[in-house]
Amino acid sequence: MRDRRTQGTMLLAVGGMALFLGSSDLTLSYVRAFVRPLLLVSGAVLVALGVTAILGPLRRPGLATGGGPRVAWLLVLPLLVLILVAPGALGSYAAARRPAAGAAGGDGPIPPVGPAVSGAVPMELTEFAYRAAFDERHSLDGVRVRLLGFVAPSRGGGGYLLARFAMFCCAADAEVVEVAVRGDSVQRRSDQWLLIEGYLRPSPAARDAKDSDPTDTIPEVVADSVKPVPAPRDRYEHTLFGY
Amino acid sequence: MRPLGSEAVAAEGASPEGTPAEEARRRARLDGRVLLLLVVVAIGSRGLLAGVLDGPALRTWSTIFVSITIQALPFLVLGVMVSGAIAALVPASLLTRALPRQPLVAVPAAGLAGAALPGCECASVPIAARLAAAGVTPAAALTFMLAAPAINPVVMVATAVAFPGRPQMVLARFLGSLLASVGVGLLWTRLGRALPVGGARRLPPAGLGRWESFSHTARHDFLEAGGWLVVGAMAAATLQVLVPRGVLDQVAGNHVLAAVALGLLAVVLAICSEADAFVAASLQQFSLSARLVFLVVGPAVDVKLIAMQAGVFGRRFALRFPALTFLVAVGSALLVGRWLL
Repeated sequence: MRDRRTQGTMLLAVGGMALFLGSSDLTLSYVRAFVRPLLLVSGAVLVALGVTAILGPLRRPGLATGGGPRVAWLLVLPLLVLILVAPGALGSYAAARRPAAGAAGGDGPIPPVGPAVSGAVPMELTEFAYRAAFDERHSLDGVRVRLLGFVAPSRGGGGYLLARFAMFCCAADAEVVEVAVRGDSVQRRSDQWLLIEGYLRPSPAARDAKDSDPTDTIPEVVADSVKPVPAPRDRYEHTLFGY
Repeated sequence: MRPLGSEAVAAEGASPEGTPAEEARRRARLDGRVLLLLVVVAIGSRGLLAGVLDGPALRTWSTIFVSITIQALPFLVLGVMVSGAIAALVPASLLTRALPRQPLVAVPAAGLAGAALPGCECASVPIAARLAAAGVTPAAALTFMLAAPAINPVVMVATAVAFPGRPQMVLARFLGSLLASVGVGLLWTRLGRALPVGGARRLPPAGLGRWESFSHTARHDFLEAGGWLVVGAMAAATLQVLVPRGVLDQVAGNHVLAAVALGLLAVVLAICSEADAFVAASLQQFSLSARLVFLVVGPAVDVKLIAMQAGVFGRRFALRFPALTFLVAVGSALLVGRWLL
């Protein structure tokens, strides 16, 4: 990265990538929505710095160029990875390799369940899992819920899991929330997105053992309606119910 | 592929005509063009490589890698803009006049000054050299060098964004780094000698206008910090995908082992302080205390800083100072972590 032109080109490349990402929905696979305007601004700054670097020597031929850091060549890697691999959001492979997330028990009282829409209460997996583990008032008893997630292989015990990632900062630290699905005998493909309606299956053993860790067991849903759906625009959950 | 004559030509102020200058310019364009070529070839070969690059492990690795890089990018840009502005606008003499003479008072003052005057890690070593050369006591200059990259507002904001819902991490990082930098400074008043202030070659060339000074510093700092960010993001992604969960859980579970492991990781990864919070956030298996060690050690000592210190202050310094800093940083982080986290 010896001369200004090369440095400027690199800045233009990275800045261009930032500008593209700042204006694309693709970015939601990696970071939260609020980062996009930040990417637009920083992209513009990098492009400006790059242009300054490239145009500089033309204006003042006496300007010393000075060497640049060689590690900077690595900056081309995110660009290449995005173009060549185009990875997208985390899926069932990552879900299998993450520890199953246990929500930390919150302090405050749990709010009542939201209203039903078309016969079932739409609920994010983090909320469902949290209520199943920690709600002493058992607010989910007898409540028909509608859950959205992707298919992940079961961790033993047959059937499959309905999973979704909850994002805190960015995809790198996303935690996976899983719900075991019962009552669906159809073979589901991993990473297929499903809309499931059903009921929380109460697990009396876990409930009675007061000193057992409620996050050890994955909650189960008995499904009576399972519908494959296209992946949502934003594949992560952000509400982080209970965190 | 290094242009041979460009620097000599530029120094002479020769007009861009004649064969050596032309050839040098042509080589320079080749460097930039290699980059453009890479990108164009990549775009062109997407269809061809469709099957090859589709494995789920690679895709997961790539998602993690890209997400850390993208998340950190705006904060990195902000950081280098601020440090570039300081390089262009704030003369070292300002700090010299502001800091008191006695070492015992100057050291903590220099530590706190680090919060007010953000300096990218990349710039902290030459800044300390400039301060020492201008007459600030060596211990205070070193404290400033350690504090400025660690406790400035950009880093604090980045840490807050990286650990949402956990403001105690921000406070812990601030106190841990402040304690570490002041601790090292005070120890240096006992153990150390004057700073040999040799190489000033990393300072922006003298005689540049303010805009040139700013853009030169910002450009250089971004390129270097950005490169190291990529290294760190790759390492974090690799850790997540390749290392079996059992091994990581074992290390993460052991309090002492986790702290040492993450401390060493911070030294090896050399990530700029504006961005390291995002890498730390991704190390999910580790406790907050262990990750605090990572955050406190990183801006204070890493392979990049050791290399720069060796270049500016000499090899004898670079043998003793980083080791001292590492120990004090780990100790401070564990102390503050025990108290706050």
